[in-house]
Amino acid sequence: MAMMQPQIILLRDGTDSSQGKPQLISNINACMAVVDTIRTTLGPRGMDKLIHTNRGVTISNDGATIMKLLDIVHPAAKTLADISLSQDAEVGDGTTTVVILAGEFLKECKPFVEEGVHPQVIIRAFRQAGQLAVAQVKTLAVSIAGKDEEETKDLLRKCASTAMNSKLISGEKEFFAEMVVDAVSKLDRDTLNLKMIGTKKVQGGGLRDSFLVDGVAFKKTFSYAGFEMQPKSYKDPKILLLNIELELKAEKENAEIRLEDPGQYQSIVDAEWNIIYQKLDQCAASGAKIVLSRLAIGDLGTQYFADRDIFCAGRVTEEDLGRVAAATGAQVQTTVNNLNPNTLGTCAQFEEQQVGAERYNLFKGCPRARTATMVLRGGSEQFIDEAERSLHDAIMIVRRAMKNASVVPGGGAIDMQLSRYLRDHARTIAGKSQLFINAFAKALEVIPRQLCDNAGLDATDILNRLRQQHASKDPQAHNYGVDVNTGGVKDNFAAFVWEPSVVKINAITAATEAACLVLSVDETVRNPRSEQPDGQDAAAAMAGRGGRGRGMRGRGMRGRGRR
Amino acid sequence: MSLVFDEYGRPFIIIKEQDKKQRLKGLEAHKAHIQAAKAVARVLQSSLGPKGMDKMLQSPDGDVTITNDGATILEQMDVENQIGKLLVELSRSQDHEIGDGTTGVVVLAGALLEHAEGLLDRGIHPLWVAEGYELACKAATEGLDKIATKFEFNLDELEPLIQTCMTTLSSKIVGRCKRDMAEMCVKAVLAVADLERKDVNLDLIKVDGKVGGRLEDARLVKGIVLDKDMSHPQMPKELKDVRMAIVTCPFEPPKPKTKHKVDIDTVEKFETLRKNEQQYFAEMVKQCKDCGATLVICQWGFDDEANHLLLANELPAVRWVGGVEIELLAMATGARIVPRFSELTPEKLGKAGSVKEISFGTTKDRMLVIEGCPNSKAVTLFVRGGNKMILEETKRSLHDALCVARNLVRDNTIVYGGGSAEIAASLAVEAAAEKVAGIEQYAMRAFSDALDSVPLALAENSGLAPIESLTEAKARQLKEGNPHLGIDCNDVGTIDMKEQNVFESLSSKKQQLFLATQVCKMILKIDDVIQPAEYA
Repeated sequence: MAMMQPQIILLRDGTDSSQGKPQLISNINACMAVVDTIRTTLGPRGMDKLIHTNRGVTISNDGATIMKLLDIVHPAAKTLADISLSQDAEVGDGTTTVVILAGEFLKECKPFVEEGVHPQVIIRAFRQAGQLAVAQVKTLAVSIAGKDEEETKDLLRKCASTAMNSKLISGEKEFFAEMVVDAVSKLDRDTLNLKMIGTKKVQGGGLRDSFLVDGVAFKKTFSYAGFEMQPKSYKDPKILLLNIELELKAEKENAEIRLEDPGQYQSIVDAEWNIIYQKLDQCAASGAKIVLSRLAIGDLGTQYFADRDIFCAGRVTEEDLGRVAAATGAQVQTTVNNLNPNTLGTCAQFEEQQVGAERYNLFKGCPRARTATMVLRGGSEQFIDEAERSLHDAIMIVRRAMKNASVVPGGGAIDMQLSRYLRDHARTIAGKSQLFINAFAKALEVIPRQLCDNAGLDATDILNRLRQQHASKDPQAHNYGVDVNTGGVKDNFAAFVWEPSVVKINAITAATEAACLVLSVDETVRNPRSEQPDGQDAAAAMAGRGGRGRGMRGRGMRGRGRR
Repeated sequence: MSLVFDEYGRPFIIIKEQDKKQRLKGLEAHKAHIQAAKAVARVLQSSLGPKGMDKMLQSPDGDVTITNDGATILEQMDVENQIGKLLVELSRSQDHEIGDGTTGVVVLAGALLEHAEGLLDRGIHPLWVAEGYELACKAATEGLDKIATKFEFNLDELEPLIQTCMTTLSSKIVGRCKRDMAEMCVKAVLAVADLERKDVNLDLIKVDGKVGGRLEDARLVKGIVLDKDMSHPQMPKELKDVRMAIVTCPFEPPKPKTKHKVDIDTVEKFETLRKNEQQYFAEMVKQCKDCGATLVICQWGFDDEANHLLLANELPAVRWVGGVEIELLAMATGARIVPRFSELTPEKLGKAGSVKEISFGTTKDRMLVIEGCPNSKAVTLFVRGGNKMILEETKRSLHDALCVARNLVRDNTIVYGGGSAEIAASLAVEAAAEKVAGIEQYAMRAFSDALDSVPLALAENSGLAPIESLTEAKARQLKEGNPHLGIDCNDVGTIDMKEQNVFESLSSKKQQLFLATQVCKMILKIDDVIQPAEYA
């Protein structure tokens, strides 16, 4: 008895701490399971996912959206979701690519880890390979800058349509590519502020009924009686933007009036009316023909303006108001005193138009049109949502390409070329890293392979043809990629399947980083606390139903152990 | 979703609440989706066409709806399945955009998916099918463009428009008096139509109804019907050459919005207060009288005292009229909405030829009919019916007919109905398919077969032998080159739809094809479903 050693308790009860090689392998497996879910969305023949959560249903092909909705809790696999989101924020496209690449890097180094190679050695080699690959992308990239306006636009359109290839709207990609490029070229060249491109969704109609408004469009706001009597179309109107309420109301919230003499009653009533009438008079006196306010414009205001042939809309969202301001050159006023004509904006044409079942206010031909609005039409809500996401990707690409005008051939061509380059390079190195760089090179081939798989083509056959093509002496050899339409290989640069080089660079860097991060972890300490509230609630709820409560708790414990 | 194990036999969880989620993947997912879509389409199939049947739907709180309008049926069915919901939205967007053809579009989408299933079974990649469908859709709409004809009408010659509306109404419960209804709809649409701009604002047409009477009692009021009565039973029931004041403030002493309190500590003060109040009432009535108004329409209520005073001063009044009606009234009579009595001037009054209070049967329900408005942009269709369900269905049917008339005013290109357009489109797709090499050809043929399902359903619902009727029409279309041959649903004796005067607007047909193809592509593109297990 005296021999019994006191047990050393280092961590709180229930803390999960797995370590060593098994943990590393387990992390890699988890990542690969995640990659498996989104693999099939890559490329023009990629499929969509329908994800049903408590918040509703999403049908999407966008890697970042899917990763976000999957709600991943596994700590290592979360890294993948993060790089996908950061790719979305940084370049907007290639969100699936980056996840697949990271997964493939991990898959390739799994056998090495199992064989007992120290992860740090792999990491070093991968970092080096990543840098080499990025440098190579930069040398291979073709600049499209410096061309004249028309040509640049044409090139941008090609980039946009490549980005939309894999999406639901691919059938109309030329139409949308044109729209996206037009929209982006409306923006201020220096900042390219994306917020200035508005997207409005109206259910109904075909995709082709979508249109671009050179200016601002927003849905008719809630209106009071009298609104219909206002004119709905103006040429060169003056526009007044306000941030005040135009309603008959108590001026001060907690003021109270005490009247001694009932005869004074009328004067109070008149005073209140005078305040609102004064405001309205000032608006009308400014010469504005359109009055928009972020706050409500009451029925009195509506009728007053109707009397004077002025159009008004209250409760315009801040975003829309901001874009109207940017487009028309008006300044949002917080008071109607001393309205300066300079603070009024103008546009060539304003009208109210019926779009599907909704009515839209359109401001067209704005003098300082640094903004554009896309009105999307489509058969169902999910359809338009997905179209919006796809257009977002395309807009990001066009914007990127405008800022950083260099492109590489898509369709797996650049990946094959990088792979070949790294293999060649690996042969020149002595030591273990030769193996790992080779593994990195092999992993890059996953992009064309997945493209083939998704299109139902024979991946091995096509990959072999690509390898052969890339090794040949043909000066255009590095442009060859998968041709999903005919099931062969072709010069994708000549076929205008392009992506901005920055997408590729970012994808390779982020994927390498993520892979290295997962590799460098050999122990997970998971504090039970973070999960407790949830687990306890569930257990408490279950306990009410008798014996099942214990079962639940047991499962909860095991759940912790699993991680 | 099942657990994943690694080589060491350790399970790991990746997604939150993984064990509560369900996942469907690959071909299995496609099959499940197509099944769901087919189920929805099958429900509607029997409602297609002039001999289509109605559905009775009971809502959770016991309200019964009887209809054969596709959009309404799907809306009320409360579909839970996600794919089913897509079809519901499909029908809804057809409803919003065109207003008619809501059944046809779902039947078509169902047929397209059904035929896609066969192709998937052969191992064709779903996206090839979707792409083929898109090509086919293009070919079909081009085919429709070719057979479309311009349709001439003018204000003196309304007959063609009425015929079109009758086609729409013939499938509805009001088919019995479709002639009258169609005339009403056409007149209503033309009353509000802006033929220059080719635009019709349907908001200006109000469809209202009261239970009781017969369908034939429905009528078109060139003005407005208000579900209100005069504020005092002794006020006159009929007014001629009315000058109308529309006010948005109550017949009450005004109240400041700021919190207030009147201190009354002496009897004199109380007396003044009372006198002031009375004065207010007298003043208000006087102001109305002075500006020459013979009727007051008020958005708010009256005090009893005011009501009495109004009667005493022989000023008829209506109270609690809703904002939308106020607006319509103001537009029709040319009145300005006045926010307070002191602003009433003769120019702000509206004019109306007559205002009548009508009562129905033995019930106490009364309504005001305001007619002869100078600016009669706003019209009202007033329908009667034996019970609430018929009334509601009549309103829906009229809405469809109104939409059809509107579409023709907007764009007067038409194609012939009765399935003839579908047959012609099917032939066009078939012809186009032969010129396409590759897997798309198969998909296009499937599309052309799917198009046949509309005339098939029409024939079946009309009690004809479906295949015989379809093949006869198709063969003759091809032989005679006459794209107007369809299914003789009404047993008139000819299958030439031009002679039968059955047609639909081109835009509606094209929209159906576009939307159905779009939804098909969306459904075919999904190969992975992750959802909470309780929904499975």
